[in-house]
Amino acid sequence: MNMLEIDNLHVTVQGKEILKGITLSIPAGEVHAVMGPNGSGKSTLSYTLAGREGYEVTGGHIYYKGEDLVPLSPDARAAKGVFLALQYPVEIPGVVTLTFLKTALNAQRRARGEPELDAMRTLRLVREKATALKINEDMLRRPLNAGFSGGEKKRMEILQMALFEPTLAILDETDSGLDIDALKLVAEGVNALRSPSRAMLVITHYQRLLSYIVPDRVHVLAGGRIVKSGGADLALELEKSGYEGVEAA
Amino acid sequence: MTALAFKRDTTPNLFAQDFAQNRSVFPGAGLAWLEARRSAAMDAFAKTGVPTRRVEAWKYTDLANALEADAIPAARFHGSLDADNPFAIAGGAELLLVNGFLQRSIGAKGIEIVDLGGLDSNTPDWVKENLGLMAAGAAQPLGAASLALMRGGAALRVRGHETVRLHFANPASDHDTVSHARVLIVAEAGASLRLFESHSSEGESQSLANLGMELVLKSGAKMEHIRVQTGAANALHVTSLGASLAKDAEYRALYAAMGGRLSRLDIDVKLGSAGAHATLHNVAVLNAGIADVTTVMDHAAAHTTSRQLFKSVVGGRGRSVNQGRVSVRKGAVKSDSHQLFKALLLSPRAEADAKPELEIFADDVVCGHGTAIGALDADALFYLRARGIPELEAKGLLIRAFLADALEGFGDEALRDALSVRLDAALGALEEATP
Repeated sequence: MNMLEIDNLHVTVQGKEILKGITLSIPAGEVHAVMGPNGSGKSTLSYTLAGREGYEVTGGHIYYKGEDLVPLSPDARAAKGVFLALQYPVEIPGVVTLTFLKTALNAQRRARGEPELDAMRTLRLVREKATALKINEDMLRRPLNAGFSGGEKKRMEILQMALFEPTLAILDETDSGLDIDALKLVAEGVNALRSPSRAMLVITHYQRLLSYIVPDRVHVLAGGRIVKSGGADLALELEKSGYEGVEAA
Repeated sequence: MTALAFKRDTTPNLFAQDFAQNRSVFPGAGLAWLEARRSAAMDAFAKTGVPTRRVEAWKYTDLANALEADAIPAARFHGSLDADNPFAIAGGAELLLVNGFLQRSIGAKGIEIVDLGGLDSNTPDWVKENLGLMAAGAAQPLGAASLALMRGGAALRVRGHETVRLHFANPASDHDTVSHARVLIVAEAGASLRLFESHSSEGESQSLANLGMELVLKSGAKMEHIRVQTGAANALHVTSLGASLAKDAEYRALYAAMGGRLSRLDIDVKLGSAGAHATLHNVAVLNAGIADVTTVMDHAAAHTTSRQLFKSVVGGRGRSVNQGRVSVRKGAVKSDSHQLFKALLLSPRAEADAKPELEIFADDVVCGHGTAIGALDADALFYLRARGIPELEAKGLLIRAFLADALEGFGDEALRDALSVRLDAALGALEEATP
């Protein structure tokens, strides 16, 4: 079964068409990478999948587990198992990380008709997932992402992914701003979540991340369209030849 | 009492007539010291009358226009009243003032209480020495009126470590009413006081609760002042507060305004000696009406410090006004002051006016100020929603996050819970008014 099916998707942002007919399917259990130069529409694709306001679908369809995703609000999508790890996680001073995690987790559970978790059980669950990502108690007690380093912010995104256990995870430039150790740590976190029941879409500018998170398929996005698709070695090719050759093709 | 005619183009007359007609029956009538102070206060008030927008310090808040023409002085209340207790606090002294009259009081060991509605020749010296010396000048015209026209109130003298709960109620009435009350608190040297002050009003008719408050903090005295004002849709709350801080005295205040048609806190803090410190935090949550906090922070001596943080959350057609003047007098070297006004506007018709001012006549001082007015951060809202938090809940979380630092460091857990319940109610109303 296809976890995600994007069919001839057109998206307009502030009156300008950014995505011009994207077609892409990700079966359950697979990791697909979307690579592309700046301005090719990578972030627009991730925001559109997550349902951000202002990203208007003017044509085509997005199906998630066979269900039309477009009319759903961002929170309804999250409750159904769609997760977007942001390129720039937002700092929210005044909201303690742990409180945020508990609120989000229980909001999702409530939306799915599952019982909420109490503070103790949430804390146990968070601690268990946090250890593997080297996220300490202190970080959990601090305001969400406020004053976190780039690496800490990305690890916090992966912690949320581990906690919410989405079935479709979209990672938007998760490698940006990470040094090699942080990158490895984040990639390990992501790889630990690969599963036959989960699909992932890894969006990146550089091949580097794909050495650690090896994708099943690679798609090249340029000018709002997928211009080329292939196996994991396509990423290596791009690393050598750059995007110019692809865009010309 | 007789009903007083009131015309908008002759604004001061409402209060002037009250003074002329009723002064002979005011509490303490015939006491020379009090008569003199009432008269001086009436003269000070007469300079502006009930302020219109033409008075610079009131240019964002038109009290004269808001005040109903047929308001009469509120009478002593004789019904039964379920006094609202927003603070889950037991122990300490407890005072209930209804329509400005002291209705009930429970004392505490380290506190002397005097009913200002019953002043006579036995008035203790500490009341005579202090009552009406602050919050009674032309710069605080409603404060002046509250002294000149005072019908009731309370004076408290505090020694040791004490807690005081002060609740003001304006029950429903058939008439539009005005009440004038005063509160004087003298914290003796080394005393520490936690003061919880709450205001509530009910009913359809308009009530103006006009309160003048004087806080005298002697050397080393510490005071934590937490004030919560809710109010009926047509209520007007004006409080003029004067505080004077002696050497090493500390005044920390959290004011919360959550309702009413108009509220104005007119504050004048004098840091009179080295080591004096004042922290003023204000939180306003409103979807209608005006919440105005106007402060004067007077660094009158060297080595004095002040911090002011005002946060407003405004939805619907509400308006918040924050004005703050910090003045550093000649010779007040090493003064250290900071003020920050922030407002969150939740609807296109919400408004926030912020006006920080600095007057510095000394060298070697640190004075900072800042203002920020904006909407909820769209990136943050999307982030929370993308994590499964529904829109209303996400907005509530962000609003609470916005207010968090203003609430931090005050009271204990029980108080914060009680405040949180109030805030939840105010925020709930805000969400309803703000699609």
